[in-house]
Amino acid sequence: MSRSPEPVFRRVAILGNPNAGKSTLFNALTGLRQKVGNYPGVTVEKKTGYCDLPSGRRAEIVDLPGSYSLQPASPDEMIVRDVLLGLQADTPPPDLIVFVVDATNLDRHLYLALQVIELGRPLVLVLNMMDAATAIDLRIDVPALERRLAVPVLGISAAKGEGLDALRAVMDRDVEPSTRHFRQWPPHLRRVIDRLEQRLPNRASLPERARRDVVVAMLLDQGDDDALVRHVPPDALADAHMLARRLDEFSPSWRAGDVTGRYERINVLVAEAVRAPSGARRDTRSEAIDRVLTHRVWGPLIFVVLMGAVFQSVFAWALPIMDLIDWGVSGAGSLIGHAMPAGALRSLVVDGVVAGVGTALTFVPQIAILFLFLSVLEDSGYMARAAFIMDRVMAKVGLSGRSFIPLLSSFACAIPGIMATRSIDNRRDRLTTIMIAPFMSCSARLPVYALLIGAFVPNRWVGFVTLPGLTLFAMYFIGIVAAIGVAWALKRTVLRGGPPLYVMELPPYRLPSWRSVLTTVRERSLLFMRKAGTVILAISVVLWFLASYPKGGEAARALEAGRAHAVATGDSVQAMTFDRRIAGANLEHSLAGQAGRLIEPAIAPLGFDWRIGIGLITSLAAREVMVATMATVFNLGNAGSDMHPLRASLREAVDRRTGRRAYTPLTGVSLMVFYVLACQCMSTLAVVRRETNSWRWPVFMLVMMNTMAWLASFVVYQGGRALGFGG
Amino acid sequence: MTTPATRAPGDECALDQLAAGERGVVAHLSCEPSIARRLMELGLIPGAEVEVIRRAPFGDPLEITVRGVHLWLRRSEASRIDVTFA
Repeated sequence: MSRSPEPVFRRVAILGNPNAGKSTLFNALTGLRQKVGNYPGVTVEKKTGYCDLPSGRRAEIVDLPGSYSLQPASPDEMIVRDVLLGLQADTPPPDLIVFVVDATNLDRHLYLALQVIELGRPLVLVLNMMDAATAIDLRIDVPALERRLAVPVLGISAAKGEGLDALRAVMDRDVEPSTRHFRQWPPHLRRVIDRLEQRLPNRASLPERARRDVVVAMLLDQGDDDALVRHVPPDALADAHMLARRLDEFSPSWRAGDVTGRYERINVLVAEAVRAPSGARRDTRSEAIDRVLTHRVWGPLIFVVLMGAVFQSVFAWALPIMDLIDWGVSGAGSLIGHAMPAGALRSLVVDGVVAGVGTALTFVPQIAILFLFLSVLEDSGYMARAAFIMDRVMAKVGLSGRSFIPLLSSFACAIPGIMATRSIDNRRDRLTTIMIAPFMSCSARLPVYALLIGAFVPNRWVGFVTLPGLTLFAMYFIGIVAAIGVAWALKRTVLRGGPPLYVMELPPYRLPSWRSVLTTVRERSLLFMRKAGTVILAISVVLWFLASYPKGGEAARALEAGRAHAVATGDSVQAMTFDRRIAGANLEHSLAGQAGRLIEPAIAPLGFDWRIGIGLITSLAAREVMVATMATVFNLGNAGSDMHPLRASLREAVDRRTGRRAYTPLTGVSLMVFYVLACQCMSTLAVVRRETNSWRWPVFMLVMMNTMAWLASFVVYQGGRALGFGG
Repeated sequence: MTTPATRAPGDECALDQLAAGERGVVAHLSCEPSIARRLMELGLIPGAEVEVIRRAPFGDPLEITVRGVHLWLRRSEASRIDVTFA
């Protein structure tokens, strides 16, 4: 969080494959002096921190996302390439690249390293996990690597803090860029590249050799590379596409020609610089764990138990903390309430601002607990196994194993669930998962289900389950079916795309470090408070205004007179009844009340009257607010957790025009179906806005879900009546 | 699917035809070019040795090792990677 008071002497980027230990190194170098933001226009996280160098000068450090190649296959990798090639407007290429590789696996990690060294920028190659290499008797000839690659090479152990001083010293001095090339293009390709290179605009920030990589990106472009559209003249890009098609006819293997060349160089390098003990070098410990955790029977079983435990903890552990927050917020509210004179301002502060802060805060325990578990699972290496196990299931709806955990989390609350979609590297899969996450019945819907099931569903046994239990299950089931349908439709329409490649590394199991886990928890919680919390607060204030103004009305004035009389005669019970009726009359007279009447024609076909309309409107703050609103509408005041009086009121409510029962069991079912499918939670929309970096997706979500909800409730209510369930 | 019993070293088959514990050498990738390139960047270049470790509990995807790294990929991709049985 700390801002640098001193000017930054050097901008350093940490780069490497996933699982190379980049983040551990970043945390070790910067401590907690880091901030998290987004690259503009995309949802890739930008982590920046500061590190003091031996000379007393200060370096700014950027932790670039883990990548496998400069030829990007995900939004993360796209950012890495754009930063390194100088195509990223807000992040100029770094002064120094700290390239982190896993010392025990140079075979594979050197691939991206060679690509980046070829760019000709100052770079230091860091062999991380040297302790692990030593432990398996792997000897690495560091001077030989330095000679062959022409860059400084350092062996460190970021987790143990070994070699960091030497690294800081290198960061302090001037590093000469390497002049080595590790790939050869066949002559015909070479000519094509040279020709296209001349078509690029002259830009000082693009070193000679980075220009060549831009050309290669142009040739390999599938028409979805936004950075190229921004930086390359359109006719040059069109020519590149045309030339690529011609090359395809000539020799289809040209697209991967440089890959083979680089790996051949790596084979030579590794043979020269690495002395492995005889016999196959294998991580026997991870393999032993995997024999259990990905076992045909035990694997899924352990997965289910583990997910059940996570889900239950989010549910159960968050609850007391949320109650504590509720208690604290209402305490703060009444304290402020007593300190301020009664009136509009007090109501704004207590019922608008403090209540809004409370709403935003109550999400934090769930977010923190979920990310505590998720980052332990991720850092330990289990997450990749979970995706491995669940991939087959998720493939059926066109997603991958990566989508399972965000969706499961959404049963507790869609907000942390949507935040957890960041681990999905495929952009279309991520958006699909975000769009279907709110269909999972979250914990805020439970009070509404509980109210309506208690009011309208008779407690009878059906086989070996009760009718209320069956109804509750049906609500969860409807949400899942809707999610599958929407995922299927999105993948065939707006989120259609070329064949995706689902391939994932299964990293060795590691003990997660508490420091990195707690950093993640802290980051997620703060990020939510800063970005989504502010929107939630603003919306709460608006909703407070709608439910409070205009005041009075004739009915309320008459009731005020009655209350005054009751107070004068000392009848406190009577006075309280009047209080509740005044609150009801005020709400009915307010903008929200008027809106309830206004939308009545639209919701009448679903079996809802204006009173439910008011509940639907106040549900925008949070779905469970519906219960409190209905209590106010039915003059029950704040009944607390006892739903019985409200259930009775709902059953006995009378339609003032016809004199008949206003709500039947069919109304209850129709309303529950509406709550399953409707997008009512403004907090969810705020998070979708933040996670997709656009208003397009949240607006689309709002329209799509509410249309579906209306149609489904219409079918339930009108169909039910046609079948004679109207009551 | 040829069974391990009928397969001799030097036979060519698709990677997804290998049983758990069997090895092969990558001969040819016939996937879509951008996918082939990515798989090669992950080490699945012709000449590289691969071993199938296991299938996922529900039969797909499959776990392999190549260049010392464990990866999982779907059978739809694996079926387009030809290997020489070793």
